[in-house]
Amino acid sequence: VLAGDDGELRTETVEPVAGVVPSIVGLVPAADWDEREAHDLYGVRFEGHEPLRPLVDHDLNVASWTVPVEGRDPYQVAVGPIHAGVIESGHFRFHLVGEKILHLDARLFYKHRGLERAAEGSSLGHGLRYVSRACAACAVTNGVAYAQAVEEALGQRASAELARARTMLLELERVWSHLNDISAVCAGTGLAAGTQRFAGLAERARQLNAQLTGHRFLFGTVRIGGSDVELDAGRASSAREELARLRVEAASGWRELVFNRSFDDRLVDVGIVRARDARRLGASGPAARAAGVEVDTRATSPRLQYDGFVPVTSSRGTGDVKSRLEQRHLELVQSFELLESLLSGPLRPSSTENDGPERALAAARVESPRGATLCVVERAGDRIERVRLRTGSYANWPVVAFAASGNMLPDFPLINKSFELCYACADR
Amino acid sequence: MLTLLRDLRRLRRELALPRPDRGRSLAVRHVDCGSCNGCEHELILASSPYADLQRFGIGIVASPRHADVLLVTGPVTTRMRGPLLTAYAAMPEPRRVAALGDCAVGTDILGSPDELVGPVDVVLPVDLRIPGCPPTPNAIAAALLELLDSRDAV
Repeated sequence: VLAGDDGELRTETVEPVAGVVPSIVGLVPAADWDEREAHDLYGVRFEGHEPLRPLVDHDLNVASWTVPVEGRDPYQVAVGPIHAGVIESGHFRFHLVGEKILHLDARLFYKHRGLERAAEGSSLGHGLRYVSRACAACAVTNGVAYAQAVEEALGQRASAELARARTMLLELERVWSHLNDISAVCAGTGLAAGTQRFAGLAERARQLNAQLTGHRFLFGTVRIGGSDVELDAGRASSAREELARLRVEAASGWRELVFNRSFDDRLVDVGIVRARDARRLGASGPAARAAGVEVDTRATSPRLQYDGFVPVTSSRGTGDVKSRLEQRHLELVQSFELLESLLSGPLRPSSTENDGPERALAAARVESPRGATLCVVERAGDRIERVRLRTGSYANWPVVAFAASGNMLPDFPLINKSFELCYACADR
Repeated sequence: MLTLLRDLRRLRRELALPRPDRGRSLAVRHVDCGSCNGCEHELILASSPYADLQRFGIGIVASPRHADVLLVTGPVTTRMRGPLLTAYAAMPEPRRVAALGDCAVGTDILGSPDELVGPVDVVLPVDLRIPGCPPTPNAIAAALLELLDSRDAV
């Protein structure tokens, strides 16, 4: 799938010759995980990708999936799949000298449920369940990406009201998510007051989701070919009022974090990802923007209501933990502003219009709170032939491993939380 | 910092959550066996000021060695079956297992059969089932309280 500067996606297909296709990792290093996954799940071999280490396949020995590390007395620390807090399952193998991380091999896919394979053969409408259930934190993003891909394949285009409904849902998802992420960074430094303050705000944001749609994670709000979400003027205006209160309280909490020196000391120059590396590794979302890379799918989303959207980037832009935290705050303010205008009047049920040719293969891209999420759907009539969900978290996991290198092991939880990626929608 | 604490104190006053009439505790170890992370996000907020699980003496502990309850989420993937059994084996007696969310309970499992073992009770004896997709922080707190109260029966 190729994306133009205007956000238009073009799909190119390559037929394997005797199960082998040419690798593109030399051209696009970010395709590393995709090729390894395609090999493990579908047996595709990639010419020129050496060594093609296992990614999803867990049956092989440690040496097969880790990078050999040399140094003075290097040793390994194995963490997970079960972690010490309420954290999703995944395994991290640190290669250390003393306390310094030389290299990190992240081994995920403990939560691999085979959702994409299970979706094959089901109806296009039913397929929505599989992508939405891939991840609660990105349920709306994944659902909208899938719905847009299917609508593209069916030659449908969203009406302005449908675009508005989906944009509102996506921004509501971003608000609770970013509040959660700020809380998580506080937890990563042991600042309990900040953790609880922002956890309380995340709770309020989820309560608002439930009031507006009947579900705290906005489950069941996305469907193909339309939207059933309906808000009368009164509910839209009370939602605006609650969001205005959340905005004021988040700003007050944020000021406390900004002026807390001992908190600040933990964030600066930790887990650095520079712009050059962010681009090379395919970093996406807040992680990329915090490194000064101005990419945001929202700026090129004609199917959503982001007219005139300009991405914000942290003024630090140094790609450390502090930049990623600041980035969340900036985007939170932006989301509050977007929602203020999206909720300016009643929202009515809406639908799509037929306006284009039908296709068997289509793709769509939506900006999740963690980065650009791509969904590709191949269909046979009204059945799913194949579906692939490449989420913002999936794109950023190799960047987390890169960011850890050169830091102290005890800083890893903080670095990890400054990305706050989902395991569920990477593993699927 | 003082403002943060002041805001939290005010929130506590406003919410006026009832004081617990219990004098015991429950140590919970969470294990994710393939959830969509909804249960994790709600479990984290069960410790927020709005549900405040800690006021009942219920806490999330870092190791199964310290745990009274294993709180399991997800439909148990083939890859998490082993780690789940290892965590259970590490727990001291008496030990309890709680299935958190519809996947773990087994009412609404989605995925390829060859990647999933099935609901938690296929792997371990389950003492408590907390349905919901996902269960709210308050539902999680209420269910764990039920378990805390029933510990006399152990």
